[in-house]
Amino acid sequence: MTELQRLRDAFRTALDLPADAPVDDLRYQDNEKWDSLAHMSLVAAIEDEFSVMIDTDDVINMSSFGEAVRILGKYGVDVK
Amino acid sequence: MNLLHPDARVVDAATGDELTAGLIDRAAAELAGERLLFLPMPSTVPAVARYLAALRLDIPVVLLDPEGDHTELIQRYATDEVHPDLALLLTTSGSTGNPKLVRLSRSAVLANARQVAESLGVTGDDVAITTLPLFYSYGLSVLHSHLLAGATVVLERTGIMQRDFWTAVDEHRVTSLAFVPYQYEMLRRLRFDPAKHPSVRTLTQAGGRLRAELMTDFAQRMSDAGGRLFVMYGQTEAAPRMATLPPDRLGDKLGSVGLAMPGGAFAIEDDEVVYRGPNVMMGYAESAADLVRGDEQGGVLRTGDLGRLDDEGFLFITGRLKRMGKVFGVRINLDDVEREFPVAAVAGDDRLHVFAEGITADDARALRTKVAEWLGTHFTGVDVRPIEALPLLPNGKTDYRALEASL
Repeated sequence: MTELQRLRDAFRTALDLPADAPVDDLRYQDNEKWDSLAHMSLVAAIEDEFSVMIDTDDVINMSSFGEAVRILGKYGVDVK
Repeated sequence: MNLLHPDARVVDAATGDELTAGLIDRAAAELAGERLLFLPMPSTVPAVARYLAALRLDIPVVLLDPEGDHTELIQRYATDEVHPDLALLLTTSGSTGNPKLVRLSRSAVLANARQVAESLGVTGDDVAITTLPLFYSYGLSVLHSHLLAGATVVLERTGIMQRDFWTAVDEHRVTSLAFVPYQYEMLRRLRFDPAKHPSVRTLTQAGGRLRAELMTDFAQRMSDAGGRLFVMYGQTEAAPRMATLPPDRLGDKLGSVGLAMPGGAFAIEDDEVVYRGPNVMMGYAESAADLVRGDEQGGVLRTGDLGRLDDEGFLFITGRLKRMGKVFGVRINLDDVEREFPVAAVAGDDRLHVFAEGITADDARALRTKVAEWLGTHFTGVDVRPIEALPLLPNGKTDYRALEASL
């Protein structure tokens, strides 16, 4: 599985979305399921999936799928 | 009743709005003649002004979630006949199916605001920020205790996962943060470092049991930064605080919820924790007719918790008499869940685990959403597990121990 698919799946699992739900355009609090609690599950899921430890500022800044891609880049995970 | 110390301040972090005597006067003028106020309570200055105006006019207030639909509750409780001591009516659980209200008198609300301010040492120099809804008893007690002590309360509608929240903490030099267990899990995830927010001196914890490991962790983080963690215990029925663990005893009394509030006392009767104090409710209400009833408790609250007291009076909670759970600080009756859905329910750490026989993964997801909506809680607090057949005891009843062991 590619990094992109793994990240999409992490979003779907954490936000309790169906397996085929589009997630690439998701933004924090635009989607009713992505609130602070789901955000915590999401960060945990991403950390587990990619074996990274995300800093406080990055946790707070991860406000969209696109931001998650950018932030993961900082940790050496090239999502494409 | 007046909870507002003349030096107390309430300020909205996002808008800069500040509570003034004029705003309360205006709200009071609008409320004149009302007998009972159903008040949706967002964390805003106008809502706080309306709330304080109603208390000042001795109009009992039913505090409601501003996001919810309360048509049924309002129909059920609307009345012009209320008991003269009645100040505040709060719901006991997030469940929409069981809107029982706790009746709190003016003297109980005032007594608990004083007890909390005293046991936490709140002074006029303190600054609290809203971390919990004001219609929830813990969030409300932060407001009450700080207003009474002449402190400042910052109204902030974002949460700890958002940049604006921490900006407000630093800008307003917030000294005290109140969290329930799941927020401590979040703070750990955020790698909360009190040294980065030097104004913060005090963390408080209530709304369910915090894992001992997290308790020790956060007590250490705070003491390293010269601050303190207060672990507390309460129920809405006690307005709500019953016990506080002094921070300097957290180490040698780990797992205890502390000592009874000033003026209160605990006893263990048939293994059940019984609290006596000036902050105990008048009783419950299940209909409008109940709002005229006087005090039925005599200052005694059977908590439904099982526990023990040590020789110094420190209380340790060991379980629940009834099958109850807590999810995100809100109490859930497991039997109610089972009456509403064809499932077996057990309580986990800040989580409700639901077992359903012979369902598919898709059914499980749909059920999770339905159960969470019915409880008025967040879906991450509900875990649905398909099971081939529920384990049974020899008497044919569900074997909950086996289910708990399978988690």
